[in-house]
Amino acid sequence: MVRWAILAALIVILEVTTRTGMISPALMVSPSEILARLVSIVPTERFGQDAARTLTTILIAFTIGLVLGIPLGVFLWRVPAAGRILEPFIVTGYAMPTLLFYPVLLAVMGLNAGPIILIAASMSLIPIALTTMVALKSIKPILHKLANSVSASPRQYYLKVLFPAATPLIFPGVKLGFIYAVIGTVAMEFILAAQGIGFRAGFYYRELNTADMWAYIAVVIVLSVLVNAVLTRLEKRIRRDML
Amino acid sequence: MSQSPTMRSIGHENDVVFDNIGMTFDTGAGVTRAVENVSGAIPEGKFVSVIGPSGCGKSTLLDMVGGLLKPTQGSVSINGEKVTGPRRDTAMVFQEDSTLHWRTVLDNVAFGLEVKGISKAERYDSARRMIELVGLKGFEDHRPGQLSGGMKQRVAIARALAMEPRVLLMDEPFGALDQQTRQFIGRELLRIWEKTRNRVLFITHDIQEAVYLSDEVWVMSARPSIVKEVVTIDLPRPRPEGTHALPRFRELEDHLWALVKVEAEKTLGPGARLA
Ligand SMILES: Nc1ncnc2c1ncn2[C@@H]1O[C@H](COP(=O)(O)OP(=O)(O)O)[C@@H](O)[C@H]1O
Ligand SMILES: [Mg+2]
Repeated sequence: MVRWAILAALIVILEVTTRTGMISPALMVSPSEILARLVSIVPTERFGQDAARTLTTILIAFTIGLVLGIPLGVFLWRVPAAGRILEPFIVTGYAMPTLLFYPVLLAVMGLNAGPIILIAASMSLIPIALTTMVALKSIKPILHKLANSVSASPRQYYLKVLFPAATPLIFPGVKLGFIYAVIGTVAMEFILAAQGIGFRAGFYYRELNTADMWAYIAVVIVLSVLVNAVLTRLEKRIRRDML
Repeated sequence: MSQSPTMRSIGHENDVVFDNIGMTFDTGAGVTRAVENVSGAIPEGKFVSVIGPSGCGKSTLLDMVGGLLKPTQGSVSINGEKVTGPRRDTAMVFQEDSTLHWRTVLDNVAFGLEVKGISKAERYDSARRMIELVGLKGFEDHRPGQLSGGMKQRVAIARALAMEPRVLLMDEPFGALDQQTRQFIGRELLRIWEKTRNRVLFITHDIQEAVYLSDEVWVMSARPSIVKEVVTIDLPRPRPEGTHALPRFRELEDHLWALVKVEAEKTLGPGARLA
């Protein structure tokens, strides 16, 4: 309720400030104009292709992050020595702007979705791996003892004890991983790409076409809000079922 | 009324047999001789309690029987087979809360059977019976978060009982409970055990509890621990509520107190109380 009120207030303020010229039209156009632009952009075939490209890139990057990040987290937990050795590298990877490698990857792989997927996936992977490791570490030793005492097989141990116990703790990392996949994808597209929502926003930015640039930015915002809402709902469900 | 453990005839085939078992922990920080030269047996159908000062190696002993720890000396055998790891015919109850918080009471109690690969219908059937036995009927669909400490321990006991173990190992299962609850659950446990009559190794620091429940009480010495004395509890079974007031009960209790006090003073200094 309060959130919607804040949002409405924000839109009204933007509308007023842009219309009265308090914010220069070169920086930002009014929400009503963005909406008008969206109405004409969204139905086009080109928008469909851009959106499809961006969404598939995000999903592929996130899937890679998940499929590699969770086993990596498990490995870092299972082999504490590896965890100790690798952790500084991973944390550095976390802190470093990976996008610096983008030009190199473009040169090697060419101007396609490959370099973007690679960067977005590596950004997505890190929080997932780190939270998986931390979550597994924080499981009470008694649960290991219990699993052992009932002669659980390794498979049963993971599926019936470890993952259910760790899931509520891993989930925030997974959520962060998804957000990083979105950021990575859109940012790389913005810098240089042949297609995609981020690419269009960057294209119009360089064309000084503020209205269309904001229309595409609005698409990214709406997309992020939607995804976040879905993930938050999923997280609540998991927590309710598991805690 | 008491015998030295080494003097006893050791090892009927169906017993849980300790053959000069010992455990030394070698950590970076130093070497701890937790258990040393324990020999003895839990005869078929007997309830054995172990008491001794805190840190003397009671949990270590139990974990070795459960196959969770490999003894550094000697061995344990059950039904004539050497224990090399967790066995399907033993079940354990731990001092800490070991319920799986994301599972319902029913699925917690069925957990051991589920791991054994028992079908859903069958394991739920046993689980429901055990839930009733431990007095948790009506709580099948609750999650541990909604239960008190005593109820969670009853879930853990029901889980162990549902596995129909031939050897039941309990490590201070009522340790975290208040006096009233532990007496109540103790009576319940005994009532259930009268029916199953499996071999029980029960660790406690409560002497009254040990006397009330057991056929034998093993008194462990301070570290490095040996079983210093085996006290046979010759109180008739079944043991109704008034058992605590019997003169024989008091006698056994006093005798155990005297034994334990000596050990507690060794670890903690004179005047110390049993931890
Ligand atoms: N995994 C371990 N590594 C090192 N020392 C241990 C370990 N487990 C227990 N100990 C030590 O062995 C001794 C006996 O412990 P424990 O069996 O837990 O005692 P109790 O159950 O009688 O209180 C203690 O001194 C404890 O510190
Ligand atoms: Mg202990």
